[in-house]
Order: sequence, then structure tokens, then C-alpha cells
Amino acid sequence: MIRALSQPLASGPGSNALDLVCASASIKTGALLDQSLPDHARERLEGLAATLPDLFGTLDPTCLDRIAERLGGEPGDTTFREILLLSDKSLHVIQPLAGRPGVALVAECPATSSIGLVLSAIRACVVDMEGG
Amino acid sequence: MSVERESSRVLPSIPVGPGLIASVLRLLAFVDELPPGATGMLKFGEEGLILLESRKICWAVARSMRLRLTDILRNQSTPPLPREAVEEIYRRCKIDGKPIGEALVMSGLVTEAGLRVALFKHNGEAIAHLAGGGLSPDAFVSHSRTGYDPKFSFSPCEVLAMLGSLDDPARALAAQIELGNALVPDSFGAAFVRSDITAGALVIAVDRACDLPVCDLVEVCNWTAGLFDVAHTFDREAALARATWGGHLALVTWRAKDVAYVGVCASRAAAARLVSRLESTAKSSGVIAAAARYGGPA
Repeated sequence: MIRALSQPLASGPGSNALDLVCASASIKTGALLDQSLPDHARERLEGLAATLPDLFGTLDPTCLDRIAERLGGEPGDTTFREILLLSDKSLHVIQPLAGRPGVALVAECPATSSIGLVLSAIRACVVDMEGG
Repeated sequence: MSVERESSRVLPSIPVGPGLIASVLRLLAFVDELPPGATGMLKFGEEGLILLESRKICWAVARSMRLRLTDILRNQSTPPLPREAVEEIYRRCKIDGKPIGEALVMSGLVTEAGLRVALFKHNGEAIAHLAGGGLSPDAFVSHSRTGYDPKFSFSPCEVLAMLGSLDDPARALAAQIELGNALVPDSFGAAFVRSDITAGALVIAVDRACDLPVCDLVEVCNWTAGLFDVAHTFDREAALARATWGGHLALVTWRAKDVAYVGVCASRAAAARLVSRLESTAKSSGVIAAAARYGGPA
């Protein structure tokens, strides 16, 4: 099993059992921000991180506002809180960090993992990244 | 005994052309911009009108269109409904001031489903003609008279999808079935493709609950198409995605061959159920990989 978490995240509960790699990345540039990230983790996350500028800020926020309004939700919160991408091999997760504007957690694990367990582990990672 | 054909057939009089969808989007945006309960008549001078009830399209007519509702109703049955019987009902409705469609249903000549299909085609054709002529409404005359049966009214998204479906009716029908099988309570959705006939996403099917402003529906479709484009740069088999925003709202998007789908979920639970249903459908079909079921990159 690859031990691929960057140093600050290695303590995320269940992370290793899930073969989960995660790191922080710039939403504006798509660059990974963790200098100490092992090469194999960097390889698994670089592509995902590079998509961030294309995924955030490309959907008109007023569009999400109007959709929220039609669904009876509260308008005003127009940032994606979490994006999951699934393929037959991998589960990819992007989660902007509320406590670090412009930065998102990017994570990847095998598709056989339970989404619920992965998201729980990622929440623990987010707490670490935000210095909680 | 006559048999109704309720599949969506191409209406030969719809002026399909490269600019049609863009023109239709522009026209339907006028409907979307009306207040939520807007009931009344959107006038296009002497060229036509659209009747609305609670911002749903009940009736549309354009001077340039060739087929009348009665022609569509007659011709969607095999053999065609007898002209004399239809015209007799039409005459009585004209005298009594009653809608002909409902009278035809009452007479037993047409089923409710058949009437809905015919009205859908008629209104779609009228809107295509108004849009194709580059017309804009010159007035909205509101009125308090209601009474159109909601079963026979259509959201702008439905009209957009109907016109988009003309590009490939069989593909659109399959997409409609996929949507019906996939969507869960508290969600609605749309299917779209990329096509030469429009610059962005071509919406080809929606479920009846889909009542977003058409420009927002297309915007969301374009964004999800882009999501898969960028995802395929690092994972060629990414085929299912979920994006959450606000307190509890989510978009779920997936692909099947050359068609992409987006489900708009009003709760996190609905989004979780939709993702779970799509995953389990993929697995129960004997294919472990969702990407194999959904066809991978288009």
C-alpha cells in the first residue's frame, strides 16, 4: 500500500487504510502547494490540481444563485463546497478550504473505497490543513 | 379503431437550421424573465403570441406556421382521425369558447397523452417559427383568467429540449428513458450533447420537473461538459461527478456514450441517492466499472 499522504495529513484517521493521498493546491494556478509531498503522491494529484482554475470561477455565480432560488434554497453561497469525480479506477475529491481562501484540498483514492469513509477521512485532513 | 403514435416525430414545418437553437434560447429567455406567477399573453405584434399560466407555456401560435393543432392530432393517429368528426368538435368549441384539445379528449377521439404530445409539437413549432423569424415580444398582457390544465402546459426547458431532440429523435428518446430511470425524488435533470447546430450544449431531453431558466440550464450543461473535458486530462475514464454548493444543493453529472446528463438535486440526500443509484446500476449490469457502463469519454 502506498503511504502517500503529505506530512501534515498523515495523521488523518483511516487515510492510509483507504490508500488516500491528499494535498493542498492553489485554485487560481492549479499548483500543488505542499513542498514536502512525496513524488508518487505528487504524480497522483498533479493532474487533478491542475484542473482547479477550470472548475472554479467558470460557472456564472448568478446562475447558481438562480438555481438555488428555484430549488427553494438560500441564494448567496455560490462556491462549490466539494466536487467528487468517479471513474472505474479512482475517486477524486476537491474541497475548497473555508479557512484558507484560494486553496483547495485535492485527494485521490481507489474507486473501491467507500465514498462515506473517504469523505470522513478528508474532513479530518481539512481540519489539519486549516490548523484545527 | 385508430392507434395514436405518441413518439416525437420530426415536424417538417419546423425551420431547423444552425441558428435555430440560439434564437429559441433568446426567445424563451423572455418567458424566464417574467415573474414566477406570470399569467397572460406574450405578444409578437401581428406575427403570433404565447399564452402563459404561472410562466408555463399553454399555447403558442405563429402566423407563418403551416400545421394546425387539428392537423397534428389527426395525423398522429393511424388511420388519421376522421376530418369531419374533428371539425365538428372544432365548430362547437368555437361557438362555446372552449379549448378544442380538452373537447377532443372528452369526445374520446384523443387520449390525454396524445393531446399533450400534439400540443407540445404545436407549441414547439410556433416558438420555432417566432424565434426563426428573429421576433421579440412587444408586450406582455397579464390577465387573471386561469383554467389551462397544468397537464397541458410546458416549461421553457421542455420546449428547448423538444426542439433539441429533432437533431436525433431516437437518441433523445433513449436519453429521456435514461433520465426517467436514474433520477430520484428531490431531483430533476436534463440530457445534452455537443452538436454542430449550436455553439454550446444542445439539450435533448429534460424531465417534467425541470423548470430552470433555459440560459441557466445550458450554462450548467456547458460547465459539466467542461468538467469531463478537464477530468479526462488525468483520468480518461471519469464518468460520474457530484458538485455540491450552498447548504444542501448538488449537481450530479454522468455520461452514457455520446450523451451527458445532469441531475440537479435539492438535497444532499438526493445527490447521495442519485450517485448510489448510478453506481449500483453500473454494477448490476454486470460491469464493475462505472466508466464502462457510461462509456467513458465522448
